[in-house]
Formats: sequence, structure tokens, C-alpha cells
Amino acid sequence: MSGKISRQILLYGVVCLAILAVPLLVDNAFLLNKYARYLIFGMLAIALSLSWGYAGILNLGQAMTFGLGSYCMAMFLKLKTVPIHTGSDGLPDFMVWNNVTELPWIWVPFQSMPFALLAGMLVPALFAALLGWFMFGGRVAGVYAAIITLATMVVVNLIIIDQQSYTGGFNGITDLAQFDILGLTFDAYSASTYYLVAVCLTVTLFVALAVSRSKTGLILQAVRDQEERVRFFGYDVALYKTFIFALSAAIAGLAGMLYTIVMEFASPTFLGVPLSLSIVIWVAVGGRQSLLGAMLGAMLVTGVQGALSETEAFLETWTLVMGGLFVLIVLLMPKGLAGAVEALLRRIPRGERKGNVRPAARQGSKSQPHLGGAL
Amino acid sequence: MDFVVSQILTGLSLSSILLLVALGLAIIYGVTGVINLAHGEFVMLGAYCAWLLQSQFGWSLLASLAVIFLLIAALGWLIEVAVIRHLYDRPLDTILATWGLGVMTQQIVRLTAGGELRYVQMPPSLSGSVNILGATDSAYRLFVLAVALGLFLLTWCIYRYTSFGLKLRAITQNRAIASSFGINSARAYRLTFAYGAGIAGLAGALISPLKSVSPEMGTTYVVDAFMVVVLGGVQSLVGTLASSAVLGETSGLLAYYSNDTIAKALVLIAIVIIIRFRPQGLFAPRVRA
Repeated sequence: MSGKISRQILLYGVVCLAILAVPLLVDNAFLLNKYARYLIFGMLAIALSLSWGYAGILNLGQAMTFGLGSYCMAMFLKLKTVPIHTGSDGLPDFMVWNNVTELPWIWVPFQSMPFALLAGMLVPALFAALLGWFMFGGRVAGVYAAIITLATMVVVNLIIIDQQSYTGGFNGITDLAQFDILGLTFDAYSASTYYLVAVCLTVTLFVALAVSRSKTGLILQAVRDQEERVRFFGYDVALYKTFIFALSAAIAGLAGMLYTIVMEFASPTFLGVPLSLSIVIWVAVGGRQSLLGAMLGAMLVTGVQGALSETEAFLETWTLVMGGLFVLIVLLMPKGLAGAVEALLRRIPRGERKGNVRPAARQGSKSQPHLGGAL
Repeated sequence: MDFVVSQILTGLSLSSILLLVALGLAIIYGVTGVINLAHGEFVMLGAYCAWLLQSQFGWSLLASLAVIFLLIAALGWLIEVAVIRHLYDRPLDTILATWGLGVMTQQIVRLTAGGELRYVQMPPSLSGSVNILGATDSAYRLFVLAVALGLFLLTWCIYRYTSFGLKLRAITQNRAIASSFGINSARAYRLTFAYGAGIAGLAGALISPLKSVSPEMGTTYVVDAFMVVVLGGVQSLVGTLASSAVLGETSGLLAYYSNDTIAKALVLIAIVIIIRFRPQGLFAPRVRA
């Protein structure tokens, strides 16, 4: 078992190093910006894989927590532009257009960077924890929980569009300042921003890996497979589920903050149904029960999409193809590409020593697909 | 008095739309345990069929209703055969598969019919208004209310008084035992899915003159309809009726004091709080896992 863990850490580390090495090979600010976006989608996929693949909570509203993080960062960066992109009283421009006379109380604390950075993760996490407490405390699970996450996201999205004078409404928050911390400035089109995202991704991946390997992670996987039995053992199932739900939200919030830095705006589409659906598709394609698989799935799908969809017409067809592919994967490959690769890897050594493997040993290796493989 | 009556009528109109959309969802979920996220797309397709038949073939809306029901029911039947029946033992995956199907449907409509808004004419015979206790209401809205109640009654009678309904109830209680008594549960599931889809199509056609028709219109309906089902409780058709009435009236009233968005948010918060303490819904004896 320990050999397997170290092999897994090695594999994850190699992938992260490869990601970190990209700017050494690519010297094109535009491309780096695009790749940074793919990395952020990878973080989102990790977040969903934690709650869906490991705890069985299908969050159809993952984009909500992403969007909340994104708005936190956008509010901070918008206030930093005072007084350039602002009206006479130091108010953000869209507030002036909406006849807001003083800074709304929600915006006031976002003048402080530490608060904004914390809020970007804590606001989504607390929101998710509250929702999770209501859902899981009421033993709402499975399809019910999935739809409630979706409904919540739709409503939050509507509110953000509706409260135009506080949120910029349909247009979102635009014309942001550049993010800087400790004397470093992160231009969206530069290697520094790519490194920022890549480091955050690496940290996220290993934190998620550690959580999934911890006792909590094992209990959550047990909850996923046999919730009732875990409850009978005396574990507080609702607490564990709420924890992973909130952790996943915090990761998505971090991804949202980075996305605002990379895209230089925040928009209600960041917490829209299409993005949420995309996240689920990435994770399903990559393999929901593999953090690395989910992450690579996100990069693969968005990468292919970015490479192919130069024209608007193609983008429309691509959505159609994606939908069809998704249905097929759900039907035929519930474990995604990671599951397929694992099955392939497991077959090769067994084929070599087919003759002398005992049935019992073979069963042993078969019974640990969730915990065993290096992916 | 006028105000109260007209407020109640507004709420009833919202309720009738909710009931129309939620009825199909509730039947499918109650019997097969499948959350059909493509349900909104069935509604949307019904609306587009109404638009197509009217603008291309000059059919009146009332004349096309039966055709639309059959078309969308046939589509539902096909989808059940092709996709859903492989997933009955993986309920979470049915959400995903139907979501994927919904996206495909939306995209096909967008590519063929275009993304712009479409409008459907009201039947001329119902375009007037009616005076009730001093308040006026559009005749068409009352017609929609009547159809919604009629469909509900029809469904309830099928469920309660026919031998097919009896079989459905048996399957709902225990599919394995029902099958061992010779009930063809696969066929029952297929028919249920087709019927639910057909009703959704009908709902879309009936709604189309009241709202604009667009490829995205289904998303909000499926969320609203699901709220109805959650609040009413699964496997309780009467619960679906009651909760559409409650939700419609509440939304109407809240929307009067603030706006539609705030009303929606408040209703959602109320529902989340309710399911914390009564996860089986307000009107149902038990919940399906």
C-alpha cells in the first residue's frame, strides 16, 4: 500500500512539475494566459472530484462557489482602481451610473486585501457549509441534493443580475486593477500570473490528495458507498459531508479569484448553468474518482475546445458534440478516462504472469479500484 | 376586494403553469425515480412545435395540442429506450445523462430554429378577458388553468382507477416483487416516461403564447418544477397540486411587494429550510431515496 502511495505522489509531482515548466518552453503571453485559464478549470475539476467522486455529493452548482470567489476578487480589484475608473466620490463607475451615493456596506471591507483574499475562499465555504448543513442534516442526498445545488446557483445568479447597482448586473465588474502582493505585480498576460495559478493548482492538488488519503477521506468514501452503514458505526455523516462540501467550495472560490485575475473581469456567467455543466462534464470525462484524472480531463476538454473553436459556428456544434460525448461517457464509462487507463494498466502485468497468480490474490487486486491505482 | 381577487388570479395563473410543468416531472420521478433534467427541454420543444405548426402550417394552437402531445411523447419514448433504461440502477447518472440530452436538444434547436425569441399567437377565441368578482383576467389564462386541472384529474384517475395505474403503484412500492407477479415494469416505465414527456410538451405549447419562446426557456422551468415536487413530496400527486398552488400564490404575492427575482430567492430559501425539517415534503408520507 505504501509503495502505491509513494508512486501516486511521484506521478502527481511529475505532472505538477511539467505544468510549472510550461513557461520555459512557451514565450507567448497570450498563450500563457490561455493555459492559465485551463489550469484554473483543472482546479475546479479537483473541487468537484472531491465532493462528487469521493463523497458522492453531485454538486450541479459548483460554478456558484467559483463565481462568489471571483466576485470577491473583482470587488477588491475594482476598489483598488479608485479614483481612475471611478466617479466623483470614489465610487466604482457602474455605481455612479446607477445613482448609488455611497459605498454599499458589502463593499466596504473589500478595501482590505487580507479580507478580500480570505473572503474569496471563506464566503463560498461558509455559504456551502450552511447549505450543506441544511441538506445533509435533513438527510437529503443523491438526486435531491444535486437539484438543490443547481436551484441555489440559479437563484444566486438571478440575484446578482438583479442587484445591478451593487454587482454591476448583467455586465459584471469590469475595468479592474492588476493584482499585486508583496511587491509583485501580476499582469494577466505574463508568466508571473501563470506561475501564480500553477503554484495554487499544485498546492490544491496535494491538499486534496492528502484529504482524500486521510481518515476523513476514507470515511467519506465509505459514506459514498454505504451511507447507512457508516451512520450505524456512529459517525456524524452530515458533518463529514458538510466538511467536504465546504472544502470543495473553498477550492472553487480560490479558482474563481484566480480566474478574475486572469480574465480581468467578473461576470454573472461565471456562476451560470453552462459553466457548471462543463465542470461536471470535465470531471466525468477525466474520471470522477481520480483527482489527477479530473484535473487532466478539464484541461483536455477545454484545451481541445480552445483549439477547435476558432469560429462561433463551430462553438455551437462543439456544444452539441460535448453533450453527446457526455451522455456516452455516462452510459459506457462511468469512471472516465482515468478508469480506462487504470483498467488498462492493471491488465498488462496480470497478462504477463497469468499462470501463477492465485485466484485469491487476483481478487485482492480487483477489490481496490477506488483506493489502489496510482491515478 | 378587486385587488385581492386579481392578486389571487395572478397567483393561480402562476400556479397553473407550475402545475403543468411539474406534473410530468412528478409522474416520472414518482414512478421511476429518475430526475429528468431534460424536462425543461421537453417543455421548450412543445413550445417550438406550437410555433412551427402555427407559423409554417397555419395551425391554430388549440388544433395542434394533440399532435404536440403525441410528438413529444414519442420523443420521450425514444429517449427512454435509448438512454434512460440503462440507468435505472444509477439514479445520479440519470441526472447527468438527461442533462447532457437537454444540452443537445437546446443546441439542436438553436442550430435549426435560431437563437432569437419566437412568439406564438393566442387562439382568437380565447384572446378576450373575463370579469370575475370585479377583477378582469385574460380568458386564455383561465383556459390554461382549466387545462392544467383537467390534466391533473385525468392523471389522478389513471393512477387511481385503472389497472395500469394499479400496476404503476405496485411497481412504485417494489419493482422486483411487482415484476415477479407478472407486471411488465420495463413497459410501464417506458409508458410513464413517454406520458410525462408528452405532458411537458403540452405545457410548453400552452405556455408559449404567455411567454417568449427561446432555446434556453427550459432551464428555469425545470428548476421551478423541481421545487414544486420537493415541496409537495414525491409520489404524492395531490401534493404536487397543493404545492403548485402554494408556490404560485406565494410567488405572486412576494413578486407584488418586491420583484420576481427576490420572490424566487425567498421561495428557494423557504424550501431549503423546509426540507431540513421535513425532507419528505409537506404532503407526502415518505421520501424515495
